[in-house]
Amino acid sequence: MSWLRASFLLGAICAALLAAGAAHAEISDTAVKAAFIPKFARYVTWPPPAVGSGPLAICVIGDDPFGNALDQAAASQSVDGRSLVVKRLSSANGASVCAIAFVDGSHTGETLAALGRQPILTVTDSRTSSQRGVIHFAIIGGRVRFYIDNAQAQARGLTISSRLLALAVGVNQR
Amino acid sequence: MKAFGFWRGGWRTAPATIFVVAVLILVAGFGIILQNEVTFRASRDRQAMVAAQVLAGSVTAAVDFGDPVASQQSVDAFRVNPQVRYVGVFDRAGHVLGAYDPSRGRARLDLAKLPPPPGSSYRVAVPVTSAGQRIGTAVYEVEREAVSRRLTRYVVMGALAVMAALVIATLGLAQTALRRANRELSERAEALSQSNELLAEQIEERAKAEDQLRQSQKMQALGQLTGGIAHDFNNLLTVIQGSADILTRDELAEDRRKRFARAIVQASENAAVLTSQLLAFARRQPLKPELIDLSALVAGMTDLLDRTMGERIRIETSFEGTCPVTVDRNQLQSAILNVASNARDAMADGGTLRIAVSTVPSGSGESMAAVAISDTGSGMDPDTASRIFEPFFTTKKTGHGTGLGLSQVYGFATQSGGDVLVETDRGKGTTVTLLLPCSHGTAFAEARGDEPEIPEQPRAEILVVEDNEDVGHFAETLLTELGHSVTLATSGEEALELTRAHDFDVVFSDVVMPGMGGLRLSEQLAAEKPGLPVILATGYSQEIAQSGSGGRPVILKPYRLATLSQALVDAMQGSNG
Repeated sequence: MSWLRASFLLGAICAALLAAGAAHAEISDTAVKAAFIPKFARYVTWPPPAVGSGPLAICVIGDDPFGNALDQAAASQSVDGRSLVVKRLSSANGASVCAIAFVDGSHTGETLAALGRQPILTVTDSRTSSQRGVIHFAIIGGRVRFYIDNAQAQARGLTISSRLLALAVGVNQR
Repeated sequence: MKAFGFWRGGWRTAPATIFVVAVLILVAGFGIILQNEVTFRASRDRQAMVAAQVLAGSVTAAVDFGDPVASQQSVDAFRVNPQVRYVGVFDRAGHVLGAYDPSRGRARLDLAKLPPPPGSSYRVAVPVTSAGQRIGTAVYEVEREAVSRRLTRYVVMGALAVMAALVIATLGLAQTALRRANRELSERAEALSQSNELLAEQIEERAKAEDQLRQSQKMQALGQLTGGIAHDFNNLLTVIQGSADILTRDELAEDRRKRFARAIVQASENAAVLTSQLLAFARRQPLKPELIDLSALVAGMTDLLDRTMGERIRIETSFEGTCPVTVDRNQLQSAILNVASNARDAMADGGTLRIAVSTVPSGSGESMAAVAISDTGSGMDPDTASRIFEPFFTTKKTGHGTGLGLSQVYGFATQSGGDVLVETDRGKGTTVTLLLPCSHGTAFAEARGDEPEIPEQPRAEILVVEDNEDVGHFAETLLTELGHSVTLATSGEEALELTRAHDFDVVFSDVVMPGMGGLRLSEQLAAEKPGLPVILATGYSQEIAQSGSGGRPVILKPYRLATLSQALVDAMQGSNG
């Protein structure tokens, strides 16, 4: 009984410590990026036939740096009443269902090329690739920031809210 | 009508009405201010809310992505508004993302630690939402205007209301003052009219009293006059009556008979002088004006004056040369003698009588001839001097003067168009100056002899017209005595009938008669019988004194036998020649 109680107490303390750490300590850049990606969906408008009416799919193509974090972030968000689902793909094949595609890993350039001009919000990370999608993460001043290639977005038929553009480090206009 | 009624009422109840109006204006003014204030507050709150919502909308993405730089940029946009006291953007957990605080150092505080706004500020907090979820909070705090500044904003309106109220109040007060002044004025006017009425009454009473006084003075003067006349005439009548009584006795010697007859004649002459003086004072004597050289007249009187003045009085005369005058010679001589005899009586111990004839300027610009008679006698006190021209006023003992002498002087001078001036100095003497108007004629008449003579005359047929039976019979007797044939008529009408039936040589008519008077009769006769001479006789005639006899001879009653006889001779000679 007392052991159970002690172990419960310990667990509670550990949980409190963890919570405090999460709130206080440096949240990892990756976690921030995982939190950002579902939020992009709110500021992007897809051409009507592209995304259907079901849940919006967030695809991770190639390496997956986020682990569970992206799933949790996506689960807590919704866009216009549509829920978000995370799909993990090894290549651009089957990416036509994706609304957002985070492309990472050594084949980033090829994957982007393979995605062609589909109405997909492509997201890349400067940490692993110099190839840029529509949104390109960068660490500037110790904070996660991003570039937006609005020209590419328009080429894909996407419309990006000016509010999001306002947050970008740089915007590539056509 | 109602409006007029209101205003008529308004004049009376003006103070209350004006007070109410002034209060209404004040209440309305401050009501408008209050309403403005409420509207302003609501509008300001709405503005603050809108500003906060705009902020919340603009920072949605920044909050969503936890972007402090973008948040700060959005917040900083509010710096341009000087009334903004605090702007802050917080994430879902309440951590500050961006804040602007110009003064209080709250820029880095999280939402939970943000102190409540001070009283001078108004704070709005609105949620920042994204996709229907609250992702943060936007806080907007704006300065509440200080009371003094709000009052300043309304001070113009308030001042206007106060001024309007003041104007109304001032007008009201002025109106009240004016009305009070009007009331006082009307009261004063009323008092004035009352005192005026009182004054008018007093004037009336005074006029009455003066009338009564004048009446009593007139009665006194009349009493003096009638008493004087009665006294003098009684004396003369005593002589006449007594003499006549004696004459009626049969066994009277011829010399005594003549003596008493002369006494009667003398007394009658005195009585005639008396009545002529009375008429002279009344300015109603028939004057016989003729052109007279004053210097010559006075020079001719010096012998007479010497005899009248006596030995103890020296007479000096000076003649500066003067204009001729047209006056009655006998009256002028009487006037000079009257003044001289009064001068003599004023110089009981002797002295000098100066008679100066000169020309003096008169008030109207024309010159007047002046005869100034001065004595060195006792003079008069002012009271006596003011009464010397009253008939029968005398300072002499009874029997020594009639009190009519200076009255004659006054009456003669004024009737002749002149005046009498009296200057007197008690103890030093008196100067009486007779002023007579200058005449422009040149033919001087010769002085006539004093002694009447009865001229010889032819027998004539004479018509005597006289309404008084006694006088008529007397005239008939006189003329019959002179050897004339006389017919008597008692009225002008009867005389006219008689002249138509019978030829007369002369008509001798009284002037004043009932019905046709002497003047009208003579005019009528001049028309009907141009050659028939008419002699008029009168004791007193206003008509002749005023307008003359039209060139016909006039003899004055009482007339002497010689006068009547001479007039008859003159008349018949005139008609024959």
